[in-house]
Amino acid sequence: MRFSFRERVVAALGTFILACVALAPTVLAADVSDIGFLDQTSLSNVPSFVRANRQLALYKSDLDRQFAARMRRIRDSSGQSRIVQEFQNKLAQKQRELFGPLFTRAQVAIASVASSKNLSVVVDKRIVIVGGQDITKNVVDLLNGPGEPIPPVSTPPPSSVGYVDQAQIDRIPKIKGANDDFARFQAQQQQQAQQKLRSAKTDADRQQVLKDYQATLADKQKQLIGPLVDRTRDAIADVAKKKGLLLVIDRSNLIYGGTDITTDVTSEIK
Amino acid sequence: MLCIAGILLGLAGCAHASPANSAAPAPTAAPGALGYVRMGDLVKKHPLYSQLARLDEDVQAIQLRAVGERIARSGADIAVEQTRLQRELDAAVERTRKALAARQADYAKREQAALAAALGAAGTASRPGAGTIVAGVNRAGQRQAQGVAQTAAANLQAYRQQVVEQDTRALQALQHSLGESAERMYRSKAEQLQKNEADFALQLATGDAAERLSLRTKLSNLALDDAARAQVKARLDALDRKESDALAAMKNRDTATLANEQTVLRDRLKTELGRQAAALRAQTLAKLGRRGSQTRQDLVAQLGSPALAGAGVALPASLPPDLRAKLDALHKKYQSDFNGDANRTIAEFQKTRDELAKRYRELAGIDADAQAGANKQLATLQRQRGELYEQMVAQIESEVRAIAQKRGVNVVLSPVVAPARGIDLTDEAAKDIESLHE
Repeated sequence: MRFSFRERVVAALGTFILACVALAPTVLAADVSDIGFLDQTSLSNVPSFVRANRQLALYKSDLDRQFAARMRRIRDSSGQSRIVQEFQNKLAQKQRELFGPLFTRAQVAIASVASSKNLSVVVDKRIVIVGGQDITKNVVDLLNGPGEPIPPVSTPPPSSVGYVDQAQIDRIPKIKGANDDFARFQAQQQQQAQQKLRSAKTDADRQQVLKDYQATLADKQKQLIGPLVDRTRDAIADVAKKKGLLLVIDRSNLIYGGTDITTDVTSEIK
Repeated sequence: MLCIAGILLGLAGCAHASPANSAAPAPTAAPGALGYVRMGDLVKKHPLYSQLARLDEDVQAIQLRAVGERIARSGADIAVEQTRLQRELDAAVERTRKALAARQADYAKREQAALAAALGAAGTASRPGAGTIVAGVNRAGQRQAQGVAQTAAANLQAYRQQVVEQDTRALQALQHSLGESAERMYRSKAEQLQKNEADFALQLATGDAAERLSLRTKLSNLALDDAARAQVKARLDALDRKESDALAAMKNRDTATLANEQTVLRDRLKTELGRQAAALRAQTLAKLGRRGSQTRQDLVAQLGSPALAGAGVALPASLPPDLRAKLDALHKKYQSDFNGDANRTIAEFQKTRDELAKRYRELAGIDADAQAGANKQLATLQRQRGELYEQMVAQIESEVRAIAQKRGVNVVLSPVVAPARGIDLTDEAAKDIESLHE
C-alpha cells in the first residue's frame, strides 16, 4: 500500500497530536474554570450581619459593665481567672446564637451559587492573584433576597485543589510538643532580651540585642521545628501527588468544596 | 501552636518547585493551568523590602519595651545630681544636730540656775538636801532634754529619708517620662522621614516604570544590533543610577536631619531634666530647712521651759506642799506642751508625706501616659507597615498577572501549603521585580 506525501503528513500529524494528548502533563489537561472565590468582608455589610454585629456590640457593652463590677469584688487571681473565663464563655455563646444561623444561611447560599456555576471549590478572595470566578455579588444578592436560599441537591464535584487543616496537624503530639517547647523558649528569650534592652545605652547596643534575639530564635526554630516542617511538607506533597491534586491550600482559606487531605496527611506524619 | 502552620505557609512550594518552572524563558502553559507564587519570597525581593524590615524591627523593638533608653537616659548626670542632693541633705541634718546639742547644753545650764533660784526663793536652798534636789532635778531634766532631742532628731531623720526617697522616685519617674517623650519625638521624626523615603522610592519607580518597560521590551528584541542594545542598556543603567542617586541623596539628608534632631532632643532633655531636678532639690531643701528650724524652735521652747525642772523627778516628802504643787503643775504643763508639739509634728509630717505621695502619683501618671504613647506609636508603625506591605504586594501582583497572562496560566493563588502539580511563577516574578528597580 502506498501513501501520498499529503497522506503521510496527515498521518504523522495525527500520531503527534495523539501522543501529545496521551503524554501531556495532567496540569495542562486540568480544568481550573471550576475555581471560585468570595470576598468575605462583603458579607459583613449584608443587613442581617450588620444587625447581628450591632446586637453583639450592645451585649458586649452590657457584659463589660457586669464584668468590671464582678472583678472589683474579687481579689485573688484564681477567682479573677474564673470570672474572665465565665464572661468569655458568655460572649462566645451569644456570638454563636447570633451568628450561627447567619453563617449556616451564608454557607447554603455559597453552596447554591457554587453548584449553579459548576464550581468544585470556592476560596477566600485574599489568596487569589489571578483568575477564578468571583461569586461575591451572587451570594450577597441571594442573602439579601426574599426567602431562604435553596441548598444544592448534589455535593460539590471532586476538586483538583486540596486542603489541609493545619490546626489539626498542629495537634499531633510530637508537633504540639515541639511547638510548646519553642513557645517556652521564646518566652524565656524574650524576657532576657527585655532586660538587655533596658540596660542598652546606645542605638548600636539595642540593634545588637535585637539581632541576637532574632538569631537565637531562628536557630532554635530550625533545630526544634525545622525537621517537623520538612516532614509535614513532604507528607502533604506525597498525599497531593497520590490524589492527583494541583495545589494544596490551608483550610482557613477555603470556603467551599475542595478535597480534604488532612486525615491522610496526619496518618502519614504519625 | 501555629508555628508549623506559619512556616509551612511561608515555605510553601520551596521544596518541590520544578526546575523547569524557574528557568527563563518560561514555557507557555495551556489555558486552564493553575499557578502559584511564594509571596513571602517575592516580598523579600522587592526594593522596598529593606524599609519593611526596618519597620518590622521597630515594631519588635517597641513590643519588647525598648523605648526610652536611646536618647533619654543620661544616667551619669542623674547619679551626680542625686549624690549632690544627698550630700546637701546630710550636711543640713548634721548642722541641725549640732545646733540642737549646743542649745541643749545652754538650756541645761540656765535651767540649773533657775531651779536653784526657785528653790532658794522657796526657802529650801539653805536646808540640807537642797543641793541634792537641784542635782536630781537637773539630772532628770537632762535625761528629759536628751530624750526630747533624740526623738526630734529621729523624727527629722525619718522625715529626711522619706523626703529623699520620694524625691528620688519622683526624679526617676520624671527622667523616665522625659526620656519616653524624647524617644517618641525622635521616632516620630524617623518614621516620617522613612515614610517619605518609601514614598519617594515608589514615586521614582512608578515614574520611570513606563520608560523602563519600553527599554526592556526593546532589549528583548532579538533583532537589535549590538550598538543599539548597548545604547538601550546604557539608558536603563542611567535610569537606575538616577533613581538610586536621588534616593541616596534623600537618605543622606534624612540621616543628617535625624542626627541633628537627636542632638537637639538630647540637649533639650538634659536642660529640662536639670531644671526640674534643681526645682525638686530646692523644694526638698526648703522642706527640710523648715522642718529643721521648726524642730529647733520646738526644742528651744521645750528645753527652756521651767516645766523641765520637775519632769519625772521623785521629790522628797519634806518639800512644802505649795512648792510640790508648783513643781507638779510645771511638770503637767511641760507634758502637755510636749504632747501638743509632738502631735503637731506628726500631723505636719503626715501632711507633707501625703503631699509628696500625691505628687509622686501624679508623676507616675505621666509614666502611664508615656506607656499609652508607646502603644499609640506601635499602632502607627503597624499601620505604616501594613500600608507599605499592601503597596508592595499590589506591585508584585501586577507583575504576577502579567506573567500569568504571558504563560497562559488562568488562576494563580498565594499562599499555598503544597504546590503539587501547580505552576510556580515565583522565580520569574522575582526576576521581573528585581529588574524593575535594580
